[in-house]
Amino acid sequence: MSEVPNRLNLASDNHQPGKNEPLLRVEQLSVRFAGVRALSDVSFEVWPGELFAVIGPNGAGKTSLFNVLSRVYQPETGHVTFAGQDLLRLKPHQVARAGIARTFQNMGQFPTMTVLEYLLLGRHTRMRSGILRAGLFIGPTRREEWENRAYCLHILDLLNLKEVRDRPLGSLPYGLQKRADLARALAMEPRLLLLDEPVAGMSLEEVEEIAEVILEIKEQLGITQILVEHDMALVMGLADRILVLDFGRVIAEGRPAEIQANPAVIKAYLGEESEQLPAPVDDLPAVSEN
Amino acid sequence: MIATREHSHSRHHRQELPREAEPPRLLGSPGRWLWLGVGVLALLLFFSLAGDDWFTIVNYCLIAAIATLALNLLSGYTGQISLGLAFFMGLGGYTAALLGGNPPVGPLDPWGLGLPVFVWLPAAGLVAALVGALVGPSALRLRGFYLGIVTLALVFIGNYLFRNLRFITGGPQGRNFPVPTFGSVSLDQQNSLLGIALTSGQQYFLLMLLVLLLSALFVYNLSRSRVGRAMRAVRDHEVGAAIMGVNLFEVKMGAFVVSSFLAGVAGALYVSYARYVIPDYWSLSLSIQFVAAIIIGGIADVWGSILGAAFVFALPQIIDYFSLLPPSTGGGGLSSGDLNALLYGLLIIVFLLFEPGGVIGLLRRLRPTARRLRPVGAGVGKAAVNEGGENIEVVDLLQHAPESGEEGRGPRGGRTS
Repeated sequence: MSEVPNRLNLASDNHQPGKNEPLLRVEQLSVRFAGVRALSDVSFEVWPGELFAVIGPNGAGKTSLFNVLSRVYQPETGHVTFAGQDLLRLKPHQVARAGIARTFQNMGQFPTMTVLEYLLLGRHTRMRSGILRAGLFIGPTRREEWENRAYCLHILDLLNLKEVRDRPLGSLPYGLQKRADLARALAMEPRLLLLDEPVAGMSLEEVEEIAEVILEIKEQLGITQILVEHDMALVMGLADRILVLDFGRVIAEGRPAEIQANPAVIKAYLGEESEQLPAPVDDLPAVSEN
Repeated sequence: MIATREHSHSRHHRQELPREAEPPRLLGSPGRWLWLGVGVLALLLFFSLAGDDWFTIVNYCLIAAIATLALNLLSGYTGQISLGLAFFMGLGGYTAALLGGNPPVGPLDPWGLGLPVFVWLPAAGLVAALVGALVGPSALRLRGFYLGIVTLALVFIGNYLFRNLRFITGGPQGRNFPVPTFGSVSLDQQNSLLGIALTSGQQYFLLMLLVLLLSALFVYNLSRSRVGRAMRAVRDHEVGAAIMGVNLFEVKMGAFVVSSFLAGVAGALYVSYARYVIPDYWSLSLSIQFVAAIIIGGIADVWGSILGAAFVFALPQIIDYFSLLPPSTGGGGLSSGDLNALLYGLLIIVFLLFEPGGVIGLLRRLRPTARRLRPVGAGVGKAAVNEGGENIEVVDLLQHAPESGEEGRGPRGGRTS
């Protein structure tokens, strides 16, 4: 990449002009499990092209939020509108078709699939062949397969994964598995990409590489992203805006600089005594609540 | 460096697609042609040299292989446990009997419409598939163990129906079944084809082989396509599959219906070859034999299904044929039947514990790995070291031979670097 913008200057005031509708609007969302509130009254908007981060201590409700957006959890109350469409009326598998792709926090779900097959699986909604045509594998099916393999190889190329295209996911080192998962999510050609701790467990070099990829997705593909991540350096460096959750509630929302200076955030992360967030650290220690 | 979005859309126009992205062809490598040649040669040798007894053993095995494929599609590829295979085979068998059987002579004879084979053979599959489509929506709500129990119930319901619908099944005494007849060529008699005299066993062999070949091709094609990937995703992780846009119900239903179809066809072939079947034949123990076949042969693998069928359905007969064991005494001694039951119980446990890939997994592992891995391996080794930093173990490539997934096999895997 020739031009990496100064990350800290990625201000949010350059929302794409002319687009005055948020891509995602979450209103007063509450999720409860057996009396435990995972999310209470969470509201926010994500604008087209934006890189929106959700942070918070462990157990703050970040993954619950993603699970609502993937329609895995049914919220108790609230509305979610995606691209003008009521997301909560969709079935889980329709969410992908609507244009939302999500990476997995942990890998290992599909250990025997090769990297290329995994990306092709990601293109499931972009392909058509039904069971009869697939079983015959003639003309159109073969061509569809070929076209989509070409598309996937292109994405593998971008993410430097081409060399491992035929390796089963389970045989790859963790970092490569996570990268393959990101590639799979990109292969879905989403309008909104949900990144669930994309750099967890990665080495410093890998974190930098993924950060670059995330920026390229934003700058060059214009795909809107929501990032859940513990790596503060990454979040502060990349995000346009940040939403901070604590015990399922929104405690702050704003640009990275504002969040870094927000006393409520500092308190949530570090307890009473500290005055400010430390300079970007590799990984924040888990907070006392668990 | 990064993709432009128009990339995918421009592909819809007819244009040159990159070679490296070409889906592997069935016979895309010299190795495959070699295997095909060896296979054809072996079949020809068998066909011209084997005696009638051998044709009996092998023909039953070919039928069993079709049913094993059916179960492997549902349980091996899609992960839906089923003990109901015998029920769907029975449905196919009695559909064949009803449509193809001889019209009744006496008032107590079971019905038969006397239709030709190209009606009753597909119809057997279609009726089984239709019943599968009716049962599927409620059965497939359940998972794992519970689905196993529901499909088990099907076997018992079927058994009750088969015993009591005398006008179709002949009741507990059983009935006669149609012989595949093509024009004036009836497969239970000696006929000559292109001037070569063929025994009944040889003609059945050709028919079974053809149907098995078509079924195997269909399942193989499915496994390497969009639908097959979705099936494996559903098996491995349902929520993950749904998040990627896979409609779980649709995929499970598809597998269930196609599996039922193949089981129905296998059932029809079985009755037309055995000629006489009592309702008790379609029992739980028949279903379990197929479960044994996919576990011993290899889960989610076409060749594994065929090998598994051979292990479970042909090996006992071969042992009998060579009289390696005394015939069943009914008294104290160990009969071949007892020994088989014992052996398969043991084999299932051994394979589950030590070789979950089955016989085919064992064979694939024994193949020289270096040849397949070298081109990929060289690049990967570097990639792992370069990007690994301190945190990531550098895996020993030769120990991680790709074992499953069609992409991983064959020399084409080496074309990446």
